[in-house]
Amino acid sequence: MAKSQHTNKIDRPDLEDSTNVVEKHEKLLEISASQARENQISETGMEPVSLWVFLASAIVLLIGGGVLGAGGKLFSYNPHPEGYTRPDFASDADTGPTIGPIVEALAKRGKNIYAKCSGCHGSTGSGDGNQYPPLAGSEWVTGNTARLAQIILNGLSGPIDVAGKTYNGNMPAQAPLTAAELAAVMTYIRNEFNDVGDVVSVEQAAGAIKVYESRPQGAITVKELDADHDQMLEGEVVDPSTSVNFETLQPAAAE
Amino acid sequence: MTSESNTRTPDQNDLKLRASIDRSLRQPVMFFFASGAVWLAVAIILGFIASYKSHSSDFLSGIEFLTYGRAYPAHINLLFYGWGCQAAFGLIVWLLARLSRSECRATGIILTAGHLWNFGVMAGTLGILCGFGSGKPLMEFPPAIWPVLLLSYVFITVWSFIQVRCSYGGKTYVGQWYLLAAVFWFPWVYLTGHLFVFVFNGHPVMAAGINAWYKYALILLFFTPVALGTAYYLVPKITGRPIYSYSLALYGFWALAVIGPWAGMQKLAGAPLPQFMPYVGATATSLILIPGIAVGVNLLMTLRGHQAHVVASPSLRFTIAGVVGFLLLGFTGMFLSTPAALKMTQFALTGYGFEILAVCGFFSMCAFGGIYFIVPRITRREWLSRRFIGWHFWLTTYGVLTVVVCSIMGGLFQGAAQEAYSSSWSDAASRSYAYNVGTTVAWGFIAVGSFFFLIHLLLMWARLGRRSQHPTLLGGSHSEQSPHGPDHEVEELQTVEA
Repeated sequence: MAKSQHTNKIDRPDLEDSTNVVEKHEKLLEISASQARENQISETGMEPVSLWVFLASAIVLLIGGGVLGAGGKLFSYNPHPEGYTRPDFASDADTGPTIGPIVEALAKRGKNIYAKCSGCHGSTGSGDGNQYPPLAGSEWVTGNTARLAQIILNGLSGPIDVAGKTYNGNMPAQAPLTAAELAAVMTYIRNEFNDVGDVVSVEQAAGAIKVYESRPQGAITVKELDADHDQMLEGEVVDPSTSVNFETLQPAAAE
Repeated sequence: MTSESNTRTPDQNDLKLRASIDRSLRQPVMFFFASGAVWLAVAIILGFIASYKSHSSDFLSGIEFLTYGRAYPAHINLLFYGWGCQAAFGLIVWLLARLSRSECRATGIILTAGHLWNFGVMAGTLGILCGFGSGKPLMEFPPAIWPVLLLSYVFITVWSFIQVRCSYGGKTYVGQWYLLAAVFWFPWVYLTGHLFVFVFNGHPVMAAGINAWYKYALILLFFTPVALGTAYYLVPKITGRPIYSYSLALYGFWALAVIGPWAGMQKLAGAPLPQFMPYVGATATSLILIPGIAVGVNLLMTLRGHQAHVVASPSLRFTIAGVVGFLLLGFTGMFLSTPAALKMTQFALTGYGFEILAVCGFFSMCAFGGIYFIVPRITRREWLSRRFIGWHFWLTTYGVLTVVVCSIMGGLFQGAAQEAYSSSWSDAASRSYAYNVGTTVAWGFIAVGSFFFLIHLLLMWARLGRRSQHPTLLGGSHSEQSPHGPDHEVEELQTVEA
């Protein structure tokens, strides 16, 4: 058929008696060539399904099962699924940021130092309500920093009123501490358990250690604290949001 | 080439029936395809702009209504509702009429409802561009639009259901299962999604979860069955061979029906939802490969030994590219659903790559196949130029592949950089910079390809197609024997007439 077109040799069906031209042309008008050349859709074949298809599906199912298994306890509400929360800054596994506000840098160090205080004062700073006074909500912690520094360095003996209750015990001296350690632990308990919002700078802490060294050895009493140390530590007040290097605690160069 | 496809010659009544069905549907189907193609072009241009802005934020920065937050949702919504849904409507209406062997008697209503749909899409897009978008992914049209779209959907597709219901002659064909399923699944998915997000006063986290489910459900329960129904129609139609295996078709269909509705909520992994929701979603997404394997094996086995058809026929070439796209979608879904990838890609570009693969790499390719098959029948003209078709095919194929690869790879790098939370956010953006540039360039290529498609289609709509008996085939001259089936005596007559 296609060949006849090329060779320009055309069959002439309308000259044959056997062809009804009118009828043919009617059909031509209503049916387009594309419709006429279409195949009919055959019945769907009945080839058996290859075992390979099922094998491949089984492998996919296995992988899907692995994904489902990774969900753990499926019906629990776990607000902190593994891998979706950041590790705590203070945890050992965490390398954390190396640059940040000084209050965070000091509090992060202070948390580690506080570990040896937590045996008595509790990991949340709540004390035991009987022998060991709380640090959270304690006016001795939130108040003047010079008193707090001397309690930490010298230890304390004799009765003390904390948050409306009198405690009578002996706190051992925590010295020797470096200035940075003292600044860190003071910043930590003032900001983690309380809401003071300032930092005790390393410079201020160094001043407190000087005062401690000039004083005779032995635990301090409330009476001496009120008499000699009822003031804020001397030294420049540092803005808690100052950006510092976490390692050196020196101000970071502006990036 | 066609030695064994000559076996069945349709009788005169069949031919007349085909012609009358095509005539009854020519206006609505052509309207859906043409307006879909226009929206596709707009969506691609918006995609180009949005992608350009993702790496060069100064681009068009003076134009308020093309800011990224508006251009991107307008791009995605137009791709889904402007192009995807309308192409699907054209395919559903035409294929179900042909398969149930009855003319359409509601042409006017379908056409009116189609105009209403286009009005809704237009109003919604303008709403997004003017800043009234709702901000819910894939539901960004202002909330007043969705009932309009749902209403027009009902009046577009209900007639196809009636046709199938009223047709006699017993058996339903594989393609019909998929298309009918899509007709029923769309209103379920669409209504559920919009009711839970916009109407019911549920928990907002749950609404976000349903929003994430909606996107996957729309892809897997509407676009996927329409594309597969089209493929199951075109492959046996063009080759003249029976589908390889009925059992395999059954298996693939029910696998999709069982797995599809669960996917989607993995987007919210780590959110305070019961844990099974995201993880079941991830599992279902990785299982999409099962229907993928079933369909892929079935259709490719049908074509075994008849690769020449795939090379020559534009319809078949696009369709098979779409089927391969479905397999790729299955593999990609499986990879992106692994817990490690899930965590890393949650806020990255990868999800976009997956959506583009689903809509452009899989659905659109099958829809193009259907359009290249249907349009010559309803316009009674042949496609004008095989070069246009070839350019459309290659530019689209390579363009979409590039967008998908760039988005997924770039998204992985971006996600990995986001995990390093101690470094600044701009680091994460700079890691995917090169991939974003690649995506922009690829959208440019896709734009050129779809420009050829649009021009070609509009010329056909204007009835300026070739008045010839010979189909437009890729590779080989126009006068070669057709893989669409043997030419009949009609051809002789017209040759004489000419």
